[in-house]
Amino acid sequence: MAFLIEIKVPDVGNVADIDVVDVLVKPGDEVSLEQTLAVLETDKASMDLPSSAAGTVQELFIKPGDKVSEGTLIATVLASSEEVNVAKPQEPAQQAAAPAEATVEKTPEPVSQPLIVTPEPAPEILPSAVSAVAAHATPAVRLFARELGVDIQKITAGSGRKGRIVKDDVKNFVKKVMAESAVQGGSGIPAMPAVDFSQFGEIEEQKLSKIKRLTGQNLSRVWLNLPMVTYHDEADITEMEAFRVALNAEKSKDDVKITGLVFIIKALVAAMEQFPQFNASLSADGEKLIFKKYFNIGIAVDTPNGLVVPVLRDVNRKGVNELTAELAEKSNKARLGKLMPADMQGGCITISSLGGIGGTAFTPIVNAPEVAILGVTRAKMQPVWNGKEFIPRLMLPLDLTYDHRVIDGAEGARFMAAVKQYLGDIRRLLL
Amino acid sequence: MDTNPAINESVVHAEVLVLGGGPGGYTAAFRAADLGKQVVLIERYPALGGVCLNVGCIPSKALLHVAQVIHEVDEFEQHGLSYGKPSFDIDKIRSWKESVSKTLSDGLARLVKQRKVTLIQGTGTFTSSHTIEVKTETGVTTVSFDQAIIAAGSHPTKIPIFPHDDPRLWDSTDALELKEIPKKLLIVGGGIIGLEMATVYHALGSEISVVELMDQIIPGCDNDLVTPLYRRIKKQYQNIWLETRVAAIEKHKDGLKVSFEGKGAPESAIFDAVLVAVGRRPNGKKIGADLAGVNVDEIGYIAVDKQQRTNVPHIFAIGDIVGNPMLAHKATYEGKIAAEVAAGLKAGFDALTIPAVAYTDPEVTWMGLTENQAKQQGIDYDKAVFPWAASGRSLSLGRKEGLTKILCERETGRILGAGMVGPNAGELIAEAVLALEMGADAEDVGLTIHPHPMLSETFAFAAEMITGSITDLYIKK
Repeated sequence: MAFLIEIKVPDVGNVADIDVVDVLVKPGDEVSLEQTLAVLETDKASMDLPSSAAGTVQELFIKPGDKVSEGTLIATVLASSEEVNVAKPQEPAQQAAAPAEATVEKTPEPVSQPLIVTPEPAPEILPSAVSAVAAHATPAVRLFARELGVDIQKITAGSGRKGRIVKDDVKNFVKKVMAESAVQGGSGIPAMPAVDFSQFGEIEEQKLSKIKRLTGQNLSRVWLNLPMVTYHDEADITEMEAFRVALNAEKSKDDVKITGLVFIIKALVAAMEQFPQFNASLSADGEKLIFKKYFNIGIAVDTPNGLVVPVLRDVNRKGVNELTAELAEKSNKARLGKLMPADMQGGCITISSLGGIGGTAFTPIVNAPEVAILGVTRAKMQPVWNGKEFIPRLMLPLDLTYDHRVIDGAEGARFMAAVKQYLGDIRRLLL
Repeated sequence: MDTNPAINESVVHAEVLVLGGGPGGYTAAFRAADLGKQVVLIERYPALGGVCLNVGCIPSKALLHVAQVIHEVDEFEQHGLSYGKPSFDIDKIRSWKESVSKTLSDGLARLVKQRKVTLIQGTGTFTSSHTIEVKTETGVTTVSFDQAIIAAGSHPTKIPIFPHDDPRLWDSTDALELKEIPKKLLIVGGGIIGLEMATVYHALGSEISVVELMDQIIPGCDNDLVTPLYRRIKKQYQNIWLETRVAAIEKHKDGLKVSFEGKGAPESAIFDAVLVAVGRRPNGKKIGADLAGVNVDEIGYIAVDKQQRTNVPHIFAIGDIVGNPMLAHKATYEGKIAAEVAAGLKAGFDALTIPAVAYTDPEVTWMGLTENQAKQQGIDYDKAVFPWAASGRSLSLGRKEGLTKILCERETGRILGAGMVGPNAGELIAEAVLALEMGADAEDVGLTIHPHPMLSETFAFAAEMITGSITDLYIKK
């Protein structure tokens, strides 16, 4: 017995308008359980949409460029009953085929045709708009909107009787849109002029990925809205590194090795517990500070599609080993493009580590509405004066950027001092 | 060879060229002219107005009025009015019908002159994306154009295996010529055109049989609206065979021998004439569209966007040639859009519905969403059907079978569709179309004072049935 299974977009963490980037199957294809049907992209990450059934794709309801959200029908898959996995059987396939025949018989043409004439599906110009979605506006107002280039469907409520859209509503809509664009362009920043680079040599254009585009918009917004200060310091991690190496030596070959980043995470959280204003956000109106009683740390991960920030939750309640495993899993998912939007929500503070690459210092941009970000570059053995002589110590450069509206300079320095202290002597994390 | 080199070699330029002088074409030409364009209109027949005015809507309405007078007189015999058996002067009826068409097409010719539209009589065929060749009586004229509007219409569908060379096998044009009144007339196709001609010839004395492929007459219309018409003509006509098709037609000396197939198929029989009314085909393949680069599909339709533009941006198409329903009022609406867009205005096809009317007796009409469509699309609707048996006006006409139906969106009461059946029902649908376009709901219609006693009241009564304020009926709660 075969069943028709409906494959829908799963719960992806309260995100609407997910872009369909690619569709990897077509009707008639055999698909297996968990096979990727389509690639979706939100403003934070791209992800693969797995099939929740095995069988033959009957019908596809999405195409690249569509927008979907939780529950959107993606495809129907004809599966044999023993293969039915998640979705419940909808209706027998035979029944699904039957209405198609019925509609062929009822050609809506006002004139009849004998069977010997091949059915000719004439293009119909029809009252498709007659339903709840049609704008409540008279023909003259609809024409007026057309003349002004206004999509009348975007005017949600009219001022006429029973919400009818009248000409003034169309005019006001235009005014509102123009006022909004004036505000957007009105922050006094002149637009960058367009340059024709091809006059200097060969060029190639490539569209930015959605993640890159939206990250860019967000960073510009933060750059313009937040007065940011970056404070640099170095932490002595000689003992921490010795402990880390010793721990990893105890591990077998297949175990995930502990990285320095996990200790930095623990140290950061300990400092946040000490200085709660670093685990806070400013309310949108700038009137209130919202303190968070949870400790979620975002880790900026470099992926082929762009920068993503998976979030490790309740870090204060997790040990080094647990965090090591979780960090490895989330970084891996991020690089494979399999992070779900829920994996990237709810961060309190972010760490951006370039330590694997190099550097001595940089000025990271706060991931607002968080109030601070910790930048990390490569640790280096350095001569440190102990009062009598220079001794070699492993020094880790740290860069703390904070929102100066929330954090004062002295607070920033004290917070950094605390982070340094925890990293310098990780036994303090037990206190 | 043509002897008039002046015309033979003439080249005319048009800012806007309109191919076809039917309702869509002349409307487009006039609108474009009124918007300041220099217009050339090509029409193959001497009279303007196309199928509608010459061999369609108008002559059929003239004949249908004759039928109506005959029926009304006939039916009022039982109420005490008798003129005796009616007699027809078929020649006089025909020439009256022709005079109606002529009055209108003469009027159009005057409008052409008043608007300074250049009219060329002949058959136009595109030769490039900016030129068209017109074969006139005197030669060939080439017209070059900046923009063109194709309004070349449609022709009755022919069925290849039928003997179309036999004069007893008619299409709608033949039937409207009113050459003779056949004793036994078979009408193939129970749609609007077939049933209108059935009405005419039945009134003039023919024995009518109708054969229809679908399971109801006027397919596409809700069955409840068709039923009163079906019940009436079932009694009047010899036969109505549904779910039946014509298998073959043979020429015989004493008539056309027709054999049938299908669910209700009768024995083969001889008819004095057979009218084939199984729809119309677009003329897209007859105008050299390929040389202009305009895409035409297998059947002959030309696809257009909301601005009536074809795939070639400066060439528009309107009317029957762009798709169903093939109705004059759709063509004129589209003609105006094409002309306005050609003149640089921001117009577009934005009508919510194209109403349909069958001028049968009783008339059947509908607009907007049909109940069948509402069910198919899973729309949550309220329905009210007001019976004309409760309308004083209908009863005083001696008729009680009519219905007025209204469909509203359940949540908002907004009118989604309406339909009527009954004498003069076609005159009532325009109010429903206006209500739909204005976004009116049942309450708006019910609160609008309708004159009494008129058939138009029934639309308000149906609306009151939706809102629950009806007093002309008692509806048990």
